[in-house]
Amino acid sequence: MPDALSPTVHADHFAVFGLSRRLHLDLAALEKEFYRQSRKLHPDRFARAAATEQQAALQRTSQLNDAYRTLAEPIPRIAYLLELEGVRRRDERVDADGGRANQVPTELLEEVFELNMALDEARSGGLDDPGTRRQLAEAQEDFQSKLGTVDTALLERAAAWDRARDAGESGGEILQQISGLLDRRNYLQNLLRDVAAVLSPTP
Amino acid sequence: MSYSDKVIDHYSNPRNVGTLDKKDPNVGTGLVGAPECGDVMRLQLKINPETQIIEEAKFKTFGCGSAIASSSLATEWIKGRTVSDALAIKNTDIVRELALPPVKIHCSVLAEDAIKAAITDWKQRHTEAVLAPAETAKA
Repeated sequence: MPDALSPTVHADHFAVFGLSRRLHLDLAALEKEFYRQSRKLHPDRFARAAATEQQAALQRTSQLNDAYRTLAEPIPRIAYLLELEGVRRRDERVDADGGRANQVPTELLEEVFELNMALDEARSGGLDDPGTRRQLAEAQEDFQSKLGTVDTALLERAAAWDRARDAGESGGEILQQISGLLDRRNYLQNLLRDVAAVLSPTP
Repeated sequence: MSYSDKVIDHYSNPRNVGTLDKKDPNVGTGLVGAPECGDVMRLQLKINPETQIIEEAKFKTFGCGSAIASSSLATEWIKGRTVSDALAIKNTDIVRELALPPVKIHCSVLAEDAIKAAITDWKQRHTEAVLAPAETAKA
């Protein structure tokens, strides 16, 4: 019989794995721990346990899955940390009563607007025109390279935040920078999705 | 998720899409965005400084159907109205008119933000345009 289970509520996804809040994680160790806990919580092991115990195991399994899914990928991990640290809210810029959350810098908006305009123009040129195709392919390359730059900067800032935390600092300013980079990343990903949709439309 | 008929109408037949001359001192430009969904919205208003009436309203929005419909509706509402009337428009009015679901409320907020941003820009530019000659004269 396994130990009696309580539907332990962990403080956050990091705590599920006994980790403190850090952006760099040992992924192999994370996976190993995920499997270890998954085995421990497997429903077969609770087949003859009390209903409350079975329920607790299920609850903890779902919590474990959520935590692993979030932490195993760098971007969801970073977005989750920003949420935990109160820098931004999940998915929505505003809540139901219309309160504002993240403000976007004007330069970024101007750049994204211009990029969209260019994409619009290239699109309206018609895909039969080889010039349009080339222009779109160039735009795709450009967005891809910008995305690469953002990702490099994100990783660098993430490491900086870990160092700040290790040094006992709050690192609040770094999180703001990370949040700005994530905004930029979202815009670039949307632009890339739009170009891809024009260049190779799915039937 | 299904869009309401009004959203579909504004989305497939958007009103007042276009550009106004950014350099015109009577034109205010508001550029706002929601990075979480990748939307950008630009709203431009031509305002008569004497009457404070919004004579022209143009928008260009890159985003989902609700964002386009919200900005299209906003331009329809504010054209011919005074600045203070336009500032009184709340995002909840847009939500109600377009029957936006909760996940699309931020689109209406974007439209309200755009109106405020465009009017703020117009006020700033207009004050500058009025003050600038005086400053030059003094120098």
